[in-house]
Amino acid sequence: MYLRSLHLRQFRNYLDQSVEFSAPKTILVGDNAQGKSNLLEAVELLSTLRSHRTSRDRDLIRDVDAIGQISAQLERDLGSVDLAITLRNSSRRTVALNGQSLRRQLDFLGTLNIVQFSSLDLDLVRGGPEQRRNWLDSLLIQLEPIYASILQQYTHILRQRNALLRQETGVRTQVATSNQPPASELALWDAQLAVAGTRVIRRRSRVVQRIAPLATYWHRQISGSTEELMISYLPNVELQSDDPTIVQQTFLAKIQERAIAEQYQHTTLVGPHRDEVNFSINQTSARQYGSQGQQRTLVLALKLAELKLIEDVIGEPPLLLLDDVLAELDLNRQNQLLDAIQDRFQTLITTTHLGSFDAQWLNSSQVFTVKAGQVL
Amino acid sequence: MIEQLQHLPGIGPKSAQRLALYILKRPEEEVKALAIALMEAKTQVGFCTICFHLSADPICEICRSPNRDSNVLCVVSESKDVIALEKTREYRGKYHVLGGTISPMDGIGPDQLHIQPLVRRVSQQKIEEVIIAISPSVEGETTTLYVGQLLKPFTKVTRIAFGLPMGGDLEYADEVTLARALEGRRELD
Repeated sequence: MYLRSLHLRQFRNYLDQSVEFSAPKTILVGDNAQGKSNLLEAVELLSTLRSHRTSRDRDLIRDVDAIGQISAQLERDLGSVDLAITLRNSSRRTVALNGQSLRRQLDFLGTLNIVQFSSLDLDLVRGGPEQRRNWLDSLLIQLEPIYASILQQYTHILRQRNALLRQETGVRTQVATSNQPPASELALWDAQLAVAGTRVIRRRSRVVQRIAPLATYWHRQISGSTEELMISYLPNVELQSDDPTIVQQTFLAKIQERAIAEQYQHTTLVGPHRDEVNFSINQTSARQYGSQGQQRTLVLALKLAELKLIEDVIGEPPLLLLDDVLAELDLNRQNQLLDAIQDRFQTLITTTHLGSFDAQWLNSSQVFTVKAGQVL
Repeated sequence: MIEQLQHLPGIGPKSAQRLALYILKRPEEEVKALAIALMEAKTQVGFCTICFHLSADPICEICRSPNRDSNVLCVVSESKDVIALEKTREYRGKYHVLGGTISPMDGIGPDQLHIQPLVRRVSQQKIEEVIIAISPSVEGETTTLYVGQLLKPFTKVTRIAFGLPMGGDLEYADEVTLARALEGRRELD
């Protein structure tokens, strides 16, 4: 897929800005806080309807009383698509495809596919498990848009259950099991949590199984075959079989096991909101022992694997957004990246200076200067 | 007045202003009639003591009606659901309005809903079937399960089917609805 043009109105620090993309690689150069990342954020919103920087639409609009708009023209194999998001200060945002406003935002997802790589991703290995879960979830939403509603439902049930645990002072009377009917109110939430949670676990496990061999392959390429990367999914509720009823039973059994602890802590201790993804290099956990260089190689391998996986599933190469990250990679890794993407993946890159770029990169790119909300 | 109108559901600042200006332009007797109607409705309409549907009398029209089947009970969460079901004119039984759904986040547990009176009704009267018609949201689902478990010892409990809207195209249905529709499929007769 190819993003032909982008139009921002009242978005972040842009008043009214059109950008035409004429080369497979676009470099946006400029000082800090000029609007480079805002442009990538707009593309992220078009793809996922989420921003990794804010969850409030009001933060995205330039002038307080204005209506923000992001529109874009995207070329896909089946033809061109016009995407538009309208952001409002105090009411819901609306989304439109080809000028048709959509009733369900879910239908908007999956039109534009992206892989993001920002300097924040360098913390993916060392950061908290939440970062790795978010990484997995964003990937899943791109591959299977319905996952967005599955995850939302799970989170909603979780919040309700936590609210109940905070209220309940009495001792729980009975835990739901598959053959006994649930009696107490908490047991009903247990059952709902297990059903929704099982869906999340099974899909997460499936995506890890698919991306792991790709990441291992890229990691071997970048590190020169000396190191073996293993990615494993460590669900909080063990996944012994892919049969949903068995997973649900395991889930409920574990809730029962942790019932007393939950009563004391007043929060849900069992479920995919406590999942972990483990990266190991030559059988040693990368989180604890990986050097800076190793972690960079690892994240780069993950991103290349994401590109390949999305391309395989969608049937078209996704966009790659490199936010301030290229300068963090040494020339060798930059070249690995360049070789891998060639001209197949449209790439948008932000940077503060062109100095660290290889001449090869610069020759094949369109360069824009971003200054105070203007793209020149 | 604009501020007061803004409290109404679905009315934003612009609509409130439009309504206020419209009311000011109308003749005095018309405005008086509206004010009286509002006050009368508020003072006279309460809840039916049997089914908790909105009613001007202690016992609502549906509960009083001899033409309604007393052996079938339909459980809904709000009075507006009764109105929606009545519009179909397909249902001849009686109702029970719970007054909401179980939602711990909003502090609503089973005790805040009219569940105890429902259990009493079902256990003391001869009721052949209870139909649960509650929206399939997370809270609605929990409420349905809760009520279902309580009533099962006394009578047959069913729930309404969920799936595709009439006149809707299969390809335009979202995946969640389609999955629900598949789950609730039945044999062709």
